[in-house]
Amino acid sequence: MERLTSVAALLGLKERLRAAPKRAAATLSICYTTGCRALGGVRVREAIERELRERGLCDRVALQETGCRGFCEAGPLVVVGPAGILYVRVAPEDVPEIIERTVLQGEVIERLLSLDPATGQRGVREDDVPFYKHQTRLVLRHCGHIDPKSVEDYLGLDGYAALAKVLGGMTPGQVVAEVAASGLRGRGGAGFPTGRKWELCRASLGQPKYLICNADEGDPGAFMDRSVCEADPHAVIEGMLIGAYAIGCTEGYIYCRAEYPIAIQHLTKAIADAEALGLLGDNILGSSFSFHLKIKQGAGAFVCGEETALIASIEGRRGMPRARPPFPAQAGLFGKPTNINNVETFACVPVILNRGAAFFASMGTEKSKGTKIFAVAGKVKNTGLVEVPMGATLRQIVFDIGGGILRDRKFKAAQTGGPSGGCIPAQYLDLPIDYDSLQAVGAIMGSGGLIVLDDATCMVELARFFLDFVQNESCGKCVPCRVGTRRMLEILTRITRGEGREGDVALLEEIAATVKAGSLCGLGQTAPNPVLSTIRYFRDEFDAHIRERRCPAAQCQALMRASCSHTCPAGVNVPEYVALIAQGRHKEAVQLIRKRNPFPSVCGRVCDRPCEAKCRRGDLDDSVSIRALKRFASDVDAREGLEAPPEVAKRSGKVAIVGAGPAGLTCGYFLGFLGRRVTVFDALPVAGGMLAVGIPAYRLPRDVLQREIDYICQCGVKLRLRHRVKSLGSLLDGGFDAVFLAVGAHKGLGLGLPGEEGRRVYDAAAFLRQFSLGQRMPRLGRVAVVGGGNAAIDSARTAVRLGAESVTVLYRRTRAEMPAYEEEVHEAIEEGVCIEYLVAPTAVLRSNGSLAGLECVRMQLGTADQSGRRRPVPIAGSEHRVEADSVIVAISQQPDFGAFEGELPKVTRWGTLVVDPVTMKTSMERVWAGGDCVSGAATVIQAIGGGQKAAMAIDKALGGEGLLPEDEEITNYAAKSRSSGKRPKPRVLSPAKRRRGFEEIVTAITPAQACREARRCLRCDLEED
Amino acid sequence: MHSQGRGEPSRSPLLRNPGSRMDPQLQEVLSRHGQSRSDLIPILQDAQAVFGYLPNEVLADVARHLNVSEAAVKGVASFYAQFYFEPQGKHRIRVCRGTACHVRGSFRIRRMVERKLGMKEGETTPDMMFSYETVACLGACALSPVMIIDGTYYGRMTSERAEAVVNEYLRQAKKG
Repeated sequence: MERLTSVAALLGLKERLRAAPKRAAATLSICYTTGCRALGGVRVREAIERELRERGLCDRVALQETGCRGFCEAGPLVVVGPAGILYVRVAPEDVPEIIERTVLQGEVIERLLSLDPATGQRGVREDDVPFYKHQTRLVLRHCGHIDPKSVEDYLGLDGYAALAKVLGGMTPGQVVAEVAASGLRGRGGAGFPTGRKWELCRASLGQPKYLICNADEGDPGAFMDRSVCEADPHAVIEGMLIGAYAIGCTEGYIYCRAEYPIAIQHLTKAIADAEALGLLGDNILGSSFSFHLKIKQGAGAFVCGEETALIASIEGRRGMPRARPPFPAQAGLFGKPTNINNVETFACVPVILNRGAAFFASMGTEKSKGTKIFAVAGKVKNTGLVEVPMGATLRQIVFDIGGGILRDRKFKAAQTGGPSGGCIPAQYLDLPIDYDSLQAVGAIMGSGGLIVLDDATCMVELARFFLDFVQNESCGKCVPCRVGTRRMLEILTRITRGEGREGDVALLEEIAATVKAGSLCGLGQTAPNPVLSTIRYFRDEFDAHIRERRCPAAQCQALMRASCSHTCPAGVNVPEYVALIAQGRHKEAVQLIRKRNPFPSVCGRVCDRPCEAKCRRGDLDDSVSIRALKRFASDVDAREGLEAPPEVAKRSGKVAIVGAGPAGLTCGYFLGFLGRRVTVFDALPVAGGMLAVGIPAYRLPRDVLQREIDYICQCGVKLRLRHRVKSLGSLLDGGFDAVFLAVGAHKGLGLGLPGEEGRRVYDAAAFLRQFSLGQRMPRLGRVAVVGGGNAAIDSARTAVRLGAESVTVLYRRTRAEMPAYEEEVHEAIEEGVCIEYLVAPTAVLRSNGSLAGLECVRMQLGTADQSGRRRPVPIAGSEHRVEADSVIVAISQQPDFGAFEGELPKVTRWGTLVVDPVTMKTSMERVWAGGDCVSGAATVIQAIGGGQKAAMAIDKALGGEGLLPEDEEITNYAAKSRSSGKRPKPRVLSPAKRRRGFEEIVTAITPAQACREARRCLRCDLEED
Repeated sequence: MHSQGRGEPSRSPLLRNPGSRMDPQLQEVLSRHGQSRSDLIPILQDAQAVFGYLPNEVLADVARHLNVSEAAVKGVASFYAQFYFEPQGKHRIRVCRGTACHVRGSFRIRRMVERKLGMKEGETTPDMMFSYETVACLGACALSPVMIIDGTYYGRMTSERAEAVVNEYLRQAKKG
């Protein structure tokens, strides 16, 4: 290619390239940079080349290597042109079919298209795919659409048009003014206005002036600079040329990480091509403007992202930051005025010059203009590069574009700004993101790395991770940074090992303040941010580690044997009993469960299985069906006959337990085991609490429950049913040494609406209780159930079985937010329950005193609440009527202490009891509490865990050691050949059969299924540290 | 298992008597660069590309070439994580410990490599087949967790998948 000696020559060449006929009728573009190559793109490319050659199609079909298209999750990506059909996760085996069917016959291959799991739809072109549809790709506009090694490709689009415009008639001052007017702020992290920065350096005296592009993208989690350099290197060069012209720089450097070999390769080629065309070098395009550009490779030091350290590194010195002022604009590289911008900033410049400052400034928020690229990674489904206008929300990025959280777990937070940044918790999911809003919530924009965190990410561990990082990268110049970060790291490490102490958090905060105040550069000044931000939003996790030696995310290895076991509130040794089942030792498995949980059969049926959510097998394919295994083993155990519990010597210490639900019975069971004399009182005629009068029999057959209660009684627990305890004082004065309060949460909260009082409006808890106790049930007619929790679904399904004419559940949010278990909702719908989402009642309608229905209003989802769930907001004018003969209210349940006389322990504003999380001790002497009366309506396993903890604390208070039975390894069995495949599906009764009665609807898995399933366990507990 | 750590004295294959001639390969490297201080890091990078690490003799020759003290050269070289002062193994295993890799369980991959090859990070196996280190972030976060062997990226690793990859290298190493 010839050297261009004028702007006109450049424009002429551009025109010729644009008009030139395409090399081939069809193109196969393969994304061929770091991401897709790593995912097998190299072999796909080979396959395409081979296939084209063998079929003699090389002339008709062009193979184009492009840069990153950003949709890294779905790589390797292949786009078939000219139609632009996007194929994802392409394997070499797919290539012949692509060429045969799509290239030659124009057919679309359905299975290779991107699937949107939310809608089940497949998108044909980029624009059809949610990942792209919701983006505004300006800086990334060429990425994936041109061959980055071809300057012709770049010139054929808008490449170097901005340079032509600048050299064709703009003064440097005009260029600076244009960039300033665009509102562009530095994309490297600090967000300093680029126009102002250029102006400062332009006004600075001294020659030569240097221009540096900071491509030392060291922030862990950010990779947009790599991608832009790899996919569109000329855009960076063009941005630099414009900057150099505006400022008056003649020498330039791109300081690029050596860890980015492809970026360096593409930049090197681009520089050579630009030089050959006369776009770099002396007298560019025949003007008096000269600019020479070199690449400097970094050598692996994070701190060199800091501008003064970067300069030191180019100068051949240790990359240590120095005090500013003087700023690089006055005395930078080799003591000369120097301007440093990052890759993305430079890549924005041609866009601004081409399309005008006003266009750029029309996007974004008041103080942050244009678009921003985010590198989305971590626990999100669609990882990759996402470009959105400033002011987009986290929810748009993580959910609309990112596709939501891996394994459909709960979003916990997003980490931005790397080691200098912080966390954005779920409550800010709807916050418009820009430089200032992030700062306000304790995070920073940084370079745009956005790591999504879920509920299996431990925030304390994450804080430790970042401290470890900065500790490693601290250059050591400033003592507060060098020593302070080390001390902080030590404290955090201790906490994650379960050796945290009271006061550790305060100490961390104190050291953090010193490190911030006493460090010279950004690294030290911001190093404590990740710690402070996690303390700010996740203090409870720190406390759980320090006080309870518990890691709520089940990640801190030192605190646990395996994450399933650690997540189980009762701490059951899951991997070991699963291993016993794998070996066919079912009875031993159940015995092992009973060492922590007296309700294996109950939990085998109705547990919400937090263990499975944390099962690591789920990261590979699908978590182990722990609950189904427990159910299977406990059924075998029951069939073969339970063995009598061992005799224990009675010891002194009488304990009264108020409430015979899972918490009370568990507490009694463990105390009985330790020889204490236990009496469990309950006002109801049956034991089991919610298990007996809440959960319907089709989920939990009563004989199954009774068998477990009988076993508990055999362990020395005395039951006194139909006995309402009048006051705690009477128990303590009446010879009991300790009281465990576990009265549950049976009081339903009303709607608080007019017309609610009166006939045919039932409280869900009372409704279910009445039926379970065999009391006469009213004729239901058309039933409306209000609520979205398990009580609502249980009531609805019970109503179906009681012959209701129709059953409609009214829930004010959508199914995604519904607290009821997904499988129950699914089964309820199968049984004919109709669920209306986004509806809330506003009045109970009565005519002549009898119920007529509900006045309702439609809702829409607004912004996030504290938990990140979107708040329902009524839609004005959407009032409508829902006809109903009966209404069941299942909104919320509270403990009911109304019947107690005398002193009671302290309660929260939600009416639940305040307890110490470790001992379950209440504010009252000799009184402990657990279960729903502490947690509010919660799960069976949580109640069991609370009862167990209280039993140990009570035993200790009575002079015992408070030790649970030994449940250590019996076997070191790890399946030699792990089974692969999916979870087993237990047999379920047909909906028609289910509607007719209360027969248990789920059957146990078969012995063969159980054995295979148990062998899918990875035995994380046997891994060494 | 004995492994060669970073701190131990190096036995350079370039041991030579004082006054003997500079290694011709190094001479070639130096001829490609100027003699100003800012040439130091590029020289060291190129020298390492030739020798696989930076023996003391090379550092001394570079110092002489640039007319700076050996201490200054070593000071710069030791500041940057990329320079090695010990011979490296034939295969370089790098496991990323960037944030994205970290939250997606890169520690399990590290543990697997350490157990499998009996080495800690920064070490080389005695048979000089494998060197292993962790790196802060390789900018391949979308594929996390990532392991890189000799420049080949292996994305979306689990300890099980990573073990299969390492086994393959071990098998080939055995074959010679």
